[in-house]
Amino acid sequence: MARYVIRRILVAFPTLLAVYTLVFLFIRVAPGDPAVAALGDYASAEAVQALRERMGLNTPLWVQYGATLLGYVRGDLGRSLITNISIGSQIAAVLPHTLELTFAGVLIGTIFGIPLGIIAAVHRNRLADYLSRVFSLAGISIPAFYLGILLILAFAVKLRWFPVMGAGDFSNPVENLRHLALPALALGIIMIAFVARMTRSCFLNVLREDYIRTARAKGLSERGVILLHSLRNALIPIAAVLGTQTALLIGDSVMTEIVFSRPGMGKLIVQAMLQRDYIALQSLIVVYASLVVVINLLTDLSYGVIDPRIRYE
Amino acid sequence: MKVRLLILGCWFLSIVATGQVLRIAFDAADLKTLDPHYAAATMDRAVVDMVFNGLVRYKPGDITVIEPDLALSWEVSEDGLIWTFYLRPGVSVHPFPGMPDGYELTSEDVVFSLIKAADPQRSAYAGEYTGMKFEAVDKYTVKIVLPQPISSALFLPKVANYSGGFIVPKRAYEELGPRFATNPVGTGPFRFKEYSPAQKVVLVRNEHYFRGTPKLEGVEIWYMPDVTARLSALLTGEVHVIEGVREQAWVEAVKRYPQVIVDVFGPGETEVLHINMTKRPFTDLRVRQAVAYAIDRNELVTAIGPDVAEPLCAAVPPYLPGGLTCAEVAERGLLYDVDLAKARELLAEAGYPEGFEISAYITERASYRKPFENIQAQLARVGIKLNITVVDHSSFHSLIRQDANPLVHYEAWRPSADAFLTRFYHSASRVVVGTKPDTNFSHVTDIDGLIEAARYELDTEKQIALWKEAQIKLLEEMASYPLYILKFVFCRSKSVDYGYELKSSLALYPSINELTTLK
Repeated sequence: MARYVIRRILVAFPTLLAVYTLVFLFIRVAPGDPAVAALGDYASAEAVQALRERMGLNTPLWVQYGATLLGYVRGDLGRSLITNISIGSQIAAVLPHTLELTFAGVLIGTIFGIPLGIIAAVHRNRLADYLSRVFSLAGISIPAFYLGILLILAFAVKLRWFPVMGAGDFSNPVENLRHLALPALALGIIMIAFVARMTRSCFLNVLREDYIRTARAKGLSERGVILLHSLRNALIPIAAVLGTQTALLIGDSVMTEIVFSRPGMGKLIVQAMLQRDYIALQSLIVVYASLVVVINLLTDLSYGVIDPRIRYE
Repeated sequence: MKVRLLILGCWFLSIVATGQVLRIAFDAADLKTLDPHYAAATMDRAVVDMVFNGLVRYKPGDITVIEPDLALSWEVSEDGLIWTFYLRPGVSVHPFPGMPDGYELTSEDVVFSLIKAADPQRSAYAGEYTGMKFEAVDKYTVKIVLPQPISSALFLPKVANYSGGFIVPKRAYEELGPRFATNPVGTGPFRFKEYSPAQKVVLVRNEHYFRGTPKLEGVEIWYMPDVTARLSALLTGEVHVIEGVREQAWVEAVKRYPQVIVDVFGPGETEVLHINMTKRPFTDLRVRQAVAYAIDRNELVTAIGPDVAEPLCAAVPPYLPGGLTCAEVAERGLLYDVDLAKARELLAEAGYPEGFEISAYITERASYRKPFENIQAQLARVGIKLNITVVDHSSFHSLIRQDANPLVHYEAWRPSADAFLTRFYHSASRVVVGTKPDTNFSHVTDIDGLIEAARYELDTEKQIALWKEAQIKLLEEMASYPLYILKFVFCRSKSVDYGYELKSSLALYPSINELTTLK
């Protein structure tokens, strides 16, 4: 397995290099000047020119490309063109909040989505199935930010159970959870919908398998058939969906972070894009892509845990 | 009983203690810079306004009055070339790493700060100080020598609490280096405590503030780009002041909440349609005049709302010295009241009886896009087909500076008539081709003499007359069509008392100072 992991990590480098190259080119093709964005429209022309010089924007493109890449090799993500803050420190400050939110969303999606999918599959074409499918369809259809606004209005403005804004301090777990509850629910409901649909579909396939019929013929209880024989076999495609959705959820968290005024990677990426903060955008996307690579690797490794027959050659 | 009273007392004190931190939420995802000589966005200007002082300041809530700030008094030499400022003794610089007790601000700091403001490598506003020399006469006296005399109306804003006029303490700037941009150190009523990226900046009160200890314990500046979240947080009491939406419908909706006060205040930003006189068919005066007769500014004002917008009839808004009121413009017959028949007639005379088709970029921001779409509909009534391409804000600013648009809708605030006229209508400021390319989108070249004569005119009445004459020329050649002034909208909880009457604020937010309280 170690060789497999090393091989995957080695394959990740060209992937990340391709991501970096594409972002580097696309952001520079788009119109917009980081110096103007940083200084505002009242700044003098000399000041804009001086800042462009200081930002290194007047150096040849290949020099800019190489300098940033060299920084990555040294573990330096560079400094924001706009704020001059180290991007590494910015990411260190916000990444825990993004991971916390994503993890909470996935957790909610898994805890509620899998049972909901199983119930729907077991009670196929009955009321529970219909309700589950309606919920799933609604969950997939509603954008996370809109759901977030509805949750804010209901649970923060009307009921005053949860705060509207910010991310609680990690040193105060209760406060942290209060701040996390609504945004996690906004992402979690969408995740529940995806997971429930996938679980239902996988379960229906598994329930048709010969070994399930055999288990039932042996007189195994229905609960035993579902939990011992069906669930584990259905879990591999579910794990695949969970992996993909977790990566997507980091992207979905952009609007959730904005609606709930939480610090996070998504908010930084949008800000960097709007301000043409080339260095910050490149580094943030590379870090985001690295996260996706890691999540995909963990997802692939989880297959072996779920199904011991799978070997990593 | 005593124990109960003690517990009650502690509880009360804790309420008072936590209740005196004011939270203000801005329409922003994060800060850009807190170096006052670079800060330009509203959320950054707000922090800078609370942390720094100028030699003089605009009276809180009323930008038409200038009063002493770090300087107790000042005088100007007879030839108008030398301005001398006498500093307030005992002004304490906020503590910073290396000097945990701060130090006393002196003329050395003021001179350092002004030199920094005049240096394009360290300031965005260097152009305002070209040719000036700064000298520390003694510990509390600063002399500024000008290359040419200018009126006090033009000079004092350069040393006021705005942009380059904010005084940056020398030792703090040198100690912190590049970190100063996110760790500002000044002399203002509040001092910087911490910054949480993409979330908030925390300020605490400056116990040694020279105007007295601020009543608030601190201020938190939150970055909340979603307006629903800002309003929700205001309604739940999590924040006390929010940046609102500059639209009548939104203002009306929020006014219905009994616990909220909506403040609509000036100076506002001018909204002007610049007509590129070098692009056909706008090279023809008759076509430009046809555009003017086709546009109905009152319809635009009605669409945005009378509380937040008011008609603008000349390049410089009337609340600045040298600005023209709509009545003054009407007197000269240059109001260009909407007249579609005349517009069509002018187009026909110019050889466009069926109108023509043009394309322009506009930013996705509602305050630009919505009125521009309204103008699109108005021009269509006389056969001018305006194709609009919506782009993001950075792209828009870049494209219009590359001269991509025949018509440019621009939103701006400038602190003086000279700044408005120089930046938008001096030949040196022409985009792409000017010697100092800036925001002259119309490519005006024939009022340089008037702008420069007004700049160096010391007689206030004559200066104002020159500024007005320049604007009349602009209207005669219809280089740009002034649309309206868009005011600022902020909402606050009824518990917030700013401590002054809010009519206008140059910091572009309701200034929080030592007098502000939370009831």
